[in-house]
Parts: sequence; C-alpha cells; structure tokens
Amino acid sequence: MSDANFSRRDFIKLTAVGAAAVAGTRLVKEARASSSSPAGEHQWAMVIDQSKCTGCNYCTLACQAHNDTAPENQWNVVSEAGEVGGHKTYIARPCMQCAKAPCVEVCMVGASYYRDDGIVMMDYDKCIGCRYCEAACPYQARVFNWEKFEGKNPAVPEWGSPEVERRPRGVPEKCSFCYHRIDRGLELGLIPGVDADATPACVGACPTGARMFGDLNDKNSLVSLVLKEHASYRLRDDLATGPRVYYLPADPKEMDTEVKS
Amino acid sequence: MFTRFKRLSIALIFALAAAGGTLMVASAQDATPPAPTPQGSEQDCAACHADYQMSWQSGLHGQAGDDPVFLKAWEDQGKPGACLICHDTGYDPATGISEAKGVTCLACHSPAPDNHPANNMPVDKSTDLCGKCHSDSRFASDNWMMSAHYQRAMTCSVCHNPHSAGMKTVEGFATTEDASSLCQNCHKDAMDNFPSSKHAEAGVTCVNCHLGFNVGSADANVDFADAHKAPDHSFIPTLETCNKCHSTQMHAPGQSVAAAAIKIEEAGGTSTPEPTPVQVSTLPVTNEPTPVSPVGYAGLAGLVGLAAGMVLAPWLERFYHRVSKQHQHEEEHHE
Amino acid sequence: MIAKLRAKFPTTTPWITWLGALGLLLAIGLTCGILIFWRGLAITNLTDLVPWGLWITIDLSSIALSAGAFSLCAAVYLAGLKRYEPVARTATFIGLIGYSMAMLSLMLDIGRPDRFWHALVYWNTHSLLWEVTMCVCLYLIVLVLEAMPILAKLEWLRKRFPKITAKMEHVHHYAPYLAIAGLCLSMLHQSSLGAVYGVLKARPFWYKPEMAALFMFSALVGGISLTIFASMLSARLTPKARVNDTLLERVAHFVGWMLVPYLYFRAWDWLAMTYTYQPGRSEGLDVMTKGPLSFNFWIVEILFGAIVPMILLLKQGTRQNRFWRMAALAMVVGGVIAYRWDINLGGFLVVVSYLPGEATVAYTSYFPSLVEIGAGLGVIAFGLMAFSLGVRYLKVVDHRYVAQEHETVKSEAPETVLA
Repeated sequence: MSDANFSRRDFIKLTAVGAAAVAGTRLVKEARASSSSPAGEHQWAMVIDQSKCTGCNYCTLACQAHNDTAPENQWNVVSEAGEVGGHKTYIARPCMQCAKAPCVEVCMVGASYYRDDGIVMMDYDKCIGCRYCEAACPYQARVFNWEKFEGKNPAVPEWGSPEVERRPRGVPEKCSFCYHRIDRGLELGLIPGVDADATPACVGACPTGARMFGDLNDKNSLVSLVLKEHASYRLRDDLATGPRVYYLPADPKEMDTEVKS
Repeated sequence: MFTRFKRLSIALIFALAAAGGTLMVASAQDATPPAPTPQGSEQDCAACHADYQMSWQSGLHGQAGDDPVFLKAWEDQGKPGACLICHDTGYDPATGISEAKGVTCLACHSPAPDNHPANNMPVDKSTDLCGKCHSDSRFASDNWMMSAHYQRAMTCSVCHNPHSAGMKTVEGFATTEDASSLCQNCHKDAMDNFPSSKHAEAGVTCVNCHLGFNVGSADANVDFADAHKAPDHSFIPTLETCNKCHSTQMHAPGQSVAAAAIKIEEAGGTSTPEPTPVQVSTLPVTNEPTPVSPVGYAGLAGLVGLAAGMVLAPWLERFYHRVSKQHQHEEEHHE
Repeated sequence: MIAKLRAKFPTTTPWITWLGALGLLLAIGLTCGILIFWRGLAITNLTDLVPWGLWITIDLSSIALSAGAFSLCAAVYLAGLKRYEPVARTATFIGLIGYSMAMLSLMLDIGRPDRFWHALVYWNTHSLLWEVTMCVCLYLIVLVLEAMPILAKLEWLRKRFPKITAKMEHVHHYAPYLAIAGLCLSMLHQSSLGAVYGVLKARPFWYKPEMAALFMFSALVGGISLTIFASMLSARLTPKARVNDTLLERVAHFVGWMLVPYLYFRAWDWLAMTYTYQPGRSEGLDVMTKGPLSFNFWIVEILFGAIVPMILLLKQGTRQNRFWRMAALAMVVGGVIAYRWDINLGGFLVVVSYLPGEATVAYTSYFPSLVEIGAGLGVIAFGLMAFSLGVRYLKVVDHRYVAQEHETVKSEAPETVLA
C-alpha cells in the first residue's frame, strides 16, 4: 500500500475511530458492571433465625429510633408467617439489599446504587420521587415520604437516638443496613456483626439473638458459620434478585420453651 | 451627568455586591459541632443527648439522689456512705467524695473516652453492669440468674428502660400499660389459650404469678416506697405462688376449687388492666378485591336498554299507533 | 369589572362560553396544582401499594394519543403520501399539546418537582423510565420544530417579528428529517412506556414482552383516531375549521383496518394470560375481567374501544356517515385511555406476598381523590384550550390552507362541514 494515499485526514479519522472504540469498550464494561452489585472487600449479609423470633418488634422500634423514620413508614416489617409445631412464627423483613436489585435497575436518575460491600444505597439528593423503585421492589421494602415527618419520633429515646437525617418530603426510603454504623465502626476498628456499635440497630435490639450480621467474605464470621451449619432460605428466590438476608426456618424442637432446670 | 435611573442602578449594584459578599463570608462559617468537652457532669451530656436526659430526669434513676424518701431514710440512719455507693456516681469511700449526686450518665457509661463524639461512649447492657447496684440479694438478682431469660443471654434492658428506670413501653406499636402487656409482646404463644382461662377471667395477669405480684398476701403489690425489694425475677411460679390465693383449697376435693375461686378484686387487690395486644405489621389489603361497582351494572343495563329500545322501536311504534287508534275509535263511539 | 367584561364581550357566544368553562377548569386545576406543590402528595389517594394512579394514566394517555403526529408525519414525508399533509399538520399540533400535557401531569406526580431536571443530568442507562424521559424530551424538541410553521401562522407574531416568523416557516423545509427523527424517537418511547411496566418481574401481571408492542399499537390507533376526531369535531363546531371529508374518511378506513390486528393482539394477550395459574397474574386478570375493572375492560376497552369502532369504520355505510365515524373514533380514543387505566391498576391492585410458602395474593383499592381529579381536569382543560385556540388562530384544522401553500397537495375542502 502506498503511503501517498494515506493523508493527514485519514490519520485523524483512524485515530478518532480507535479512540472511540476504546471508549466504547470502557462504556460496555461500566454498563455491565452496574447491572449487578460489584464485589468488594466485604459482603455484608444478615441471617434471621425464625426459631428465635418472637415477633416482639424490638428490631422495628430500634430501626425507627436510630434512622428517625415515621411510625407509619417502617423500614423493618414483622409479619406473621404461619404456625410450626404449634408455635407461631414470624418473619422480619428489612431491605434485602439485593445483588441484582430491581430498584437499582429502574431508577431513572441513578439515585439507587450499589456499594461494593453489597449495600443498596439511596442518594436522597438525586431522587426525584417518581416511585418507579417502589413499584419494582418485590418485597415492598420501600416506603414513600408522602409527607415530611415532623414532630417527635415516639421511639426516641427509649429505643435509641437518631443517627441519620430525616428524609425530605417526596422521596422513598428504605433500610440501609445501617451503613452509617458500619462505616463508623470500621473507622474505629470495630467489627460489624460482633461489636454492637458497628452493627445495624435491629441486630443489637433483638432480645433473643434471632438476628445475626456479618461479612460473608470472612469464612469465620458468625453469618458464614451459621449459613454453613444450617439450612437457610431467602425470600422470593425464584425472582433471582440475590437477596442478602437469609432466614433459618423455624424448628419446632428449638422453639419448645420447656426450661430444663 | 447621571440620570436618576442610572444613579439608582449603580447604587443597587453596590448594595447587592456588598450583601452578596457578606452572605458569602457569613455562610463560610464553620458549621461543625463544638469541640468535645472532657469528662464532666451530666450537664455536658445533655447538651447533645437532651432526649435521654429528659427521660432520665423523671425516672427513678434520675431521682435516686434527690428522692425525699431516700434522703429521710439516709439521714435517719446517719448518712452512711454505703448507700452512696449506689445512690451517687463515683462515690469514693476513702475520701467520702462523689463525682456527682444521684445516678448520672457516668454511673453506667464509664469510662468516657477522649474525643467523644469521635469515639463512642461505652454501652454495656450486661447484667453485671446493672448488677453493680442491683445485685444485692434484696434485689433478688440470684433469682434472675435462675430464669430462662438470663440463661438465653437476655439482659435487664430487654424489659427495662435503663434511662427512665421503668419498663419498656413498645411505644410506636401498642403502648404497654404495665409489665404484663410487655410480657405478651414476646410471649405471643402464651396468649393463645390464657385469655379464655378461669384465671384470666378472675383478672389474673402474667405478673401476678410469674413475678410474685400476688394479691391478698403479706407482700402484696410491691410497695415502691420500699424500693429495695424487687419481685422474684426467676419468673418461675412455685407452690408458694398458687397458695397465695388457693391456700384454702389445697387438698380440698375437686368441686370446691371452682366454687372457692377468688376474684382478685374481692380479695382487696386491683386487677391489672386489659393488656393491649401488640400488633405485627399488616398491609392495608383485603382478601377479596373491591366489589364490582354498581355504576358498571347500571351503565350496562342502560346500554342494553338503549339497544333493545332501538331494535324494538318499529314494533313498539306500531303497537302504540294501534292502541291510540283504538282509543280514538272508542272515544268517537262514545260521542 | 363586570361592566368592562360585558363591554368587551357583548354577547356570550358559544366560543366565549366554551373558553369560560375551560378557564374555570383551568383555575380549579391550578388551585389543585398549587395545593399539591404546597402540601405534597399526602393529599392524594396514592399509597405505597398504588404509587401511580390517575395522573400517570393521564400522562400515558396524552403521550399515546399524540402518536398521530409521528405516524402521520412519517406517512406524509417519508412514505410520500403527500395528500395527507393537512391531517399531519393537525396531528403535529395535537402532538405538541399532548406532550405538554404529559409534562404537566408528570410535574404533579413526581415527589420532587423541583428536581425534574435531574433526569436530564443524572443518567441511569439501564432504566426504561430514563430512556422514556430522554426520548420524550428530544421528541418534544422535534415537535416544537415541526410545529414552528403552524405557530408562525399567528397574526400577531407575523406583524411583530416578520423575520423570525419567516425563519419559523422555513423549518418546514426540514420536515422529512424531522419526520425521521420523530419516527425513531417515538417508536422508542411509545414502546418503552409499555416496557416500563413490562420489565418489572415483581409484578407478574405486567411481566411480559408484549407490553411494549401493545402500548405501541394502541398508541398508533388512538393517536390517529384522536387527530381525525378532533378535526371533524372542530369542523362541525366552527367555520374556522375546514376539512376535506374524503381525506378523513380514508384515514378512518385505515384506522378501521388497524383495529383488526389490534383486536387480535389484545385477544391473544388476554387468552395467553388465562393459561395456568400464576400468582399475581391470574388475580390481575380476574380483577380486570371479572373484578372492579371489568366494566371498564369489557365495555369501554374491548366492546366500544375496539369491536364496535372496527365494525363501524370497516362498513362503508357507517364510515361515510360523519356522525358514526366521529362516534367510532371517539370510542377508540376512550378505549385507549381505558386500556392505560386498566393496565396500571390491574398491576397495582393485586398485592403478591413475599412470604414463603404458598403465594398469597391480597387486594388493595384506589380511587383518585378530589385534588387528583381537579388537577387532572385542569391538565385536560389546558389541552382542550390549547387546541381550541389553535383551531381559531393558527388554522390548525384547515385543509384548504395547506392546499394553497403546497401546489403538490390537491385538496378540496369545502367551506365548512355541516351535518
């Protein structure tokens, strides 16, 4: 091929195409990366033992106090889940922090986003309040602030004191795995799941120890060990959202409260 | 040289510039919280934790140093230092000086770290911490160690609010009026059959049997004036418990048990109020969809009527003509 | 003040009464809108279980019924069916109005109207609603450009800014390019609006790929019908509107034929949903066909929304009769609106439990509150007023005018179309 035909213009065109191709591959990588939660150093997960849960709602109240939510906008919801062996069972449902969260996919401004430790975060400043995420969540984990929560929070200070700002009117909110406690605890050198100050408020409030929290990346964390030893299930696994909240099914033998003294 | 308008606009520009500059400087102020203060009295804690201070103030912990009953008893006994170990914060028996009067924040949240709030205050919910003052056998803490609650790693703060030194109220769901409704909040299974029992009909509630709050007995309904006496926290009812009410029926033949059943009110006590059931969350949904609106049926009927009318119109008109002709005919005949 | 009004409007013509009624509705709408911005969405009957209600229906319907713009412009400028240009002109104006109505109702509906611009600045390319927003914004620009020649008709504008008006009219030269852009953008977002529902795997009633196609189809049918209906109605009501009835009859014939596959697809979609029990989907179908939405579905959507208009528009006798043609087209429009309402509520009224074990389905209910209805009426009144003003001052429905402008368009529009 003769170089005479390869003009300056051709060179510029070639470079431009090459640059565009490189940029294109970067975009593709980003696009694929944000379709599911990226893997980071920690992967937080929660385990809830239904044998121990008595439906007392201490977790709900602790969450309400620490996150300053309105009483009608509970982030953690305890529902009756039928009877096993003559004992009533309950399911406490925080946000599942899905690995493939429908709410992150549909948010039109990207106000819902993944953190690399698995928590699905909400950017309350970006959100425009279109409520598409609310429609998309299979767990009804999101509540919308139809009005601003003014006035006294009845759960404060008996169940805790607020650690985050109240959300404004017109944005949906959801459980955040108390990321603020986790982050602060890690800064202070505490271990989330072990040290109460670094663990979500609901986990610490549970009187029976039904809620456990920890790092799935740590083979020796409580949640990793528990999940290895016990059968567990997740809610709506058929939807393949990849929830990070595992449930240990209620075992009637464990629920018998005969005290052998 | 300058028109009035031009002068005004120049003045406005200067004014706006000055205002804008002032605003920028003013908002550039540091908005960080005040520097942390070293350990001190509870006044410093209340600067940020006003909520806790308010709930503490009106409770028993808050009154521990000022309570007139305590002060009188203390003075009567010659102001012994032993009382101050619990009734004051940081009482040093050697010097006889307390850090603070009464049960203050530092009584439980000690030692305070440097740089609070950068570092957390210690929060110890264990029985041992409460037990520092409440471990005396007067408080029956050895009974607590026998209870299933303790053996399942529960702490005092499961039922008690350490700041108000009262019971937890589960506020936000159903405010529990008394200890029995708090029991019910966790022990929902127990409430399956109990409300229909004879005991419940007689006005007996959880605390009457499981916490030794018996009526008609010598140590009935703990007198809070004698605050050192706490009910039996083992929650295990014994024969003693039954006998508080049924002592006369022991060894009696079966039929007389029912006949001699005591009503709590009759025995001179007050029955604890109806416990409010604590809710678990339910969505505002129904099992059936809203019924089909009658408006739809009315509309459909209207449409059918319209269609029927349109179809039947020719025959109806013929019929009408025939009838009216007949009528006319008859009238003519009459005349 | 009354005396001044009376001096300006000595007699209350029907036009004045019409404007007055619309003005009243606009005032109500404005009041309700202010209430919403001030007090928040708590004064609506929207709940966490039914987060989208009347306003989303108005928004979806406005966009769907504006589909006449892109389809007719594509037919005229891309398929070369030049004789339909007058109708395309009307459709473009209706499109502009429709999209502004959609923007208005969206402003009401989002929780943070002050942040509406976030959608243009913060992108989540995975979100269908983002795609819809981008396409709608871009298409609105296309519509404004396409409508420039229409707006240039305003007498006041021609006198005051003759040069600008001339430039605005010149935009018409680029109509084919605008038509291409409009076609691509419209096909993207009209179908994506269906896909907004269709990708939610949490809602089995919606979770199917044909949502996109059905929304696209119903938009096409409804948009063209609205354009023809509006043209015919204006021609009946005012001498300022002049139509060529043959043209409109041809387009109505086309609509009639379009209703056949539309009915087929709807029937297929409905029958496919009846096969096997799926929690959420089967209950949603029941709610729509046997439950609270059933009359809306069977009568307004299927019978009068598709079957009857199809028969009326395919039979020459009824098609050529202006009354029946108008009735059929109005029914189609109503059917499209009913379709949007039924689809939206069918998915939200059924609540599928996330608890394990046998899937339990429960039901919730929704009826818009007075504020919602008031604001919705205000938005609709805005649309009607804009169209009425367009007919009167911008010659929006004027087939004879277009014939004068373009020699290529041979159109005979008699003076007015009287019954």
